[in-house]
Amino acid sequence: MKRLLKAIGKYFADFGTAVSKGDIWVKLSLIIMGMGYIGRGQVIKGLLVTALEAVFVLFTKNISWPYITKLNTLGTVQREEVFDPITMTKTVNEYDNSLLILLFGVLGIAIIVAFLLVYIGNIKSAYRIQELKKNGKHVNNFAEDLRELVNDKFHITLLALPSIGVIFMCILPIIFMVCIAFTNYDAAHQPPSTLFTWVGWKNFITLFSNKQGSTFAYAFVKVLIWTLIWAALATVTTYIGGILLAMLINHQDTKLKKMWRSLFVVTIAIPQFVTLLLISKMFGNYGIVNGILTRIGLVDKLLEWGWISTSYVPFMTHSGLTHVMIILINIWVGIPYQMLIATGILMNIPSDQLESARIDGANKFQIFWKITMPYMLFITGPSLVTSFIGNINNFNVIYLLTGDYVTTDASLAAANAKDVDLLITWLFKITSESQLKQYYMASVIGIVVFIICATLTLVTYSRMIKGDKEEVFQ
Amino acid sequence: MKKKLVAVLLTAAMAVSLAACGKTTEKQPEVAPEQGTEQTTEEKTGDTEVVINQGSDDAIANLIAATEGTVDLTLWCSEMESYQNTMKELVDEFKNTYSDVDFNITIGAQSESTCKDEVLKDVEAAADVFVFADDQLNELVQAGALQAVTTTYTFDPLAANGAGAVNAASLNGTCYAYPLTASNGYFLIYDKSLLTDEDVASWENLVAACEAQGKKCGFDFGNGWYTYGFFSGAGCTATLAEDGVNNVCDWNNETGVAVAESLVKICSSDAVISIGDADARAQAKDGDLIAYVDGTWSIEDFQAAYGDNLACVKLPTFEVNGVATQEGSFAGYKLVGVNAYSKNVGWAMLLAEFITNEEAQMKIGANTQEGPSNINAAASISSPALSALGAQSAFADLQRVGGNYWTPAGTLGQTLYTGTDDVKAALDDAVAGITAAAE
Repeated sequence: MKRLLKAIGKYFADFGTAVSKGDIWVKLSLIIMGMGYIGRGQVIKGLLVTALEAVFVLFTKNISWPYITKLNTLGTVQREEVFDPITMTKTVNEYDNSLLILLFGVLGIAIIVAFLLVYIGNIKSAYRIQELKKNGKHVNNFAEDLRELVNDKFHITLLALPSIGVIFMCILPIIFMVCIAFTNYDAAHQPPSTLFTWVGWKNFITLFSNKQGSTFAYAFVKVLIWTLIWAALATVTTYIGGILLAMLINHQDTKLKKMWRSLFVVTIAIPQFVTLLLISKMFGNYGIVNGILTRIGLVDKLLEWGWISTSYVPFMTHSGLTHVMIILINIWVGIPYQMLIATGILMNIPSDQLESARIDGANKFQIFWKITMPYMLFITGPSLVTSFIGNINNFNVIYLLTGDYVTTDASLAAANAKDVDLLITWLFKITSESQLKQYYMASVIGIVVFIICATLTLVTYSRMIKGDKEEVFQ
Repeated sequence: MKKKLVAVLLTAAMAVSLAACGKTTEKQPEVAPEQGTEQTTEEKTGDTEVVINQGSDDAIANLIAATEGTVDLTLWCSEMESYQNTMKELVDEFKNTYSDVDFNITIGAQSESTCKDEVLKDVEAAADVFVFADDQLNELVQAGALQAVTTTYTFDPLAANGAGAVNAASLNGTCYAYPLTASNGYFLIYDKSLLTDEDVASWENLVAACEAQGKKCGFDFGNGWYTYGFFSGAGCTATLAEDGVNNVCDWNNETGVAVAESLVKICSSDAVISIGDADARAQAKDGDLIAYVDGTWSIEDFQAAYGDNLACVKLPTFEVNGVATQEGSFAGYKLVGVNAYSKNVGWAMLLAEFITNEEAQMKIGANTQEGPSNINAAASISSPALSALGAQSAFADLQRVGGNYWTPAGTLGQTLYTGTDDVKAALDDAVAGITAAAE
């Protein structure tokens, strides 16, 4: 923290020195950015930098500034139109579009920040060249600068495009989405016809407190608990199952190893989308499984025993049973992946360790628990964390399997959630299936999911890397 | 803000109508609230008269003269093949009618039931003309996506279409869409070789008949669209509040409790099943399901299952406090809307008029299973499904419920179906959910 503050201090101190000690060219480049270069003979570079400055000024002045000035209110002029029945045309006023204001406002500010960084860097660079000249050192010409970009400064050349991509494709949209959480953007406030505006922390309060008439807090706790249970169970079951299956196939007594392995890989080859929809139909109230159970008379027996109250087994429509079914089906869908990973790792366990354990008289279980599992855990630890996070956000399995599920919990229903929803499917329902389209609530939930995932990842990774565990297996 | 917009539009419409009065003395028919729907509609459309002006032919001539280059229009209608083909024919006729203008009309496939979502995703990029189910009207108007129909040029939709359809297309005294079909409601489909007229007259008889034969009957309890009928039939309300966003609902009063108890009783029989319509078609084919509540869109499948024994009838009655009460329903219409953000509003309006006029509706009625909303066209087409709908229409309400209705109502249906000891609590929860403020 201290180092960071120091670095920031030095950054601005250097800028101050450059401005105060710079000669006329450096001072001129405060206004026209290229002057510092042009004055020392770097004409092309100077012109390029000046052109960049011009583009920035034009863009900000003409495009982003009008939006940035409206950011505080997100627009005040509502769209109004008048239709002229004689000419069959209509006139529309100059209206504000909150969504565009937010989008271009965020973009515009980001570009201003980026430009300021370039601007400060430019002054410093001009000053550096002044110093070089003064000390009689060589100053690069344009060709030499270019050559440097593929030699000494090749990292800059390589990383420029990806960095810009990440900023525009990931960071800016995330900032934009986070901003939505602080607005009232929903079906009733939908641009371009209607405006939305800032509401502060209100939406977060809705999610975390039991405000009168809102069941979001109740639904959030329920959904969060199930999300965590699901993520833990789904990860652990497929992981253990995958290892056991891989060991079974690898076992010396197993015949036709390749065939078994291929058979399981086939389940990966079929898109999950298809498999899951098919399974959800199979286990539907009137699906093939219930058909078979009815024909063999099991359903009647269950009714007789009072285990079920319907003329079918509600595999996919009963809170509790559906939860169990989802985890079971996920085991079936998820094990082949883990088996493939485990197969590769199992084959790489150093055989000297296994051998010496055997010579020392360890039995198979001891070998499994003391050597195989720790080794597996060490190698697959990071991927376990990833798959846990992946399961928190496992949209496919939950959404495709529970299409027919109707909750009987009225409080959940009021918040557009179901007992079997994960945070991520709930978020989807709020934005896509609910008529109210509470984008702001979806954004709030998205932020919460991010915080949960980020915290879990950071904590587990740092624990895993702590100490010299790498030594253990070498 | 919304109120203000509506007010401005109304003022504009009034100014226009005053100006137009000098020229045209066209009769402006008053819209009578549909029979049986007074209760739910009078607050909204009962006291405000819907008015549409008749534009002059000069306007069309002016528009043709003012049009330069190619006119690009997009039309969204159902993905069903019969629909797509019919619309293509109609669009070709439209091009011939206005042969002086060069059109480039694209027909897109977009289910009416989800049209609103697609349109509102990006209203500026949505189709110029689109077909949608009338329950989406409120949200589309709220979002300012619909061009108000203040003037028509080729015919008068108010006079040509049934009063129910016109009501469905109007909100707060303004017409926002052109009615297309009047068959988006539900009724009882059954196998007449196994069930008598007596059996299908009431749920109690129906359940008894199914029990006796070891067969099933039912509907989708998990869908608030169907659950509504029982409560509305008994006189309970669930409809939009004054603000046009939230709901008012009184299902937890004494009548509502009686309705719910009656439903629980009906559902306690093994013969009654809650089943979605895709599963229902399969069950009907197997011969297990012999009576089901559904709409015209499923008729072909049930025809395949029941063959000549297919019969349709208005919904059965059910007992509330020992009195046989007719089950109500939602009456549904398909409407054609013009995008308020269309770049060629004039042409889009003319196209919308063209595909909803009498001849066009006849064609659609003949090629699809749907019933026209046009009075003359409806009179010329008949089918068992449409006559059942006609009989049910006296007990059907306009679908005017806010977004918070659906999930709680579906949950209520499911709860009553699976059975509950405390009906009142279930109703209280449902009403709390339905009436929760949408902000």
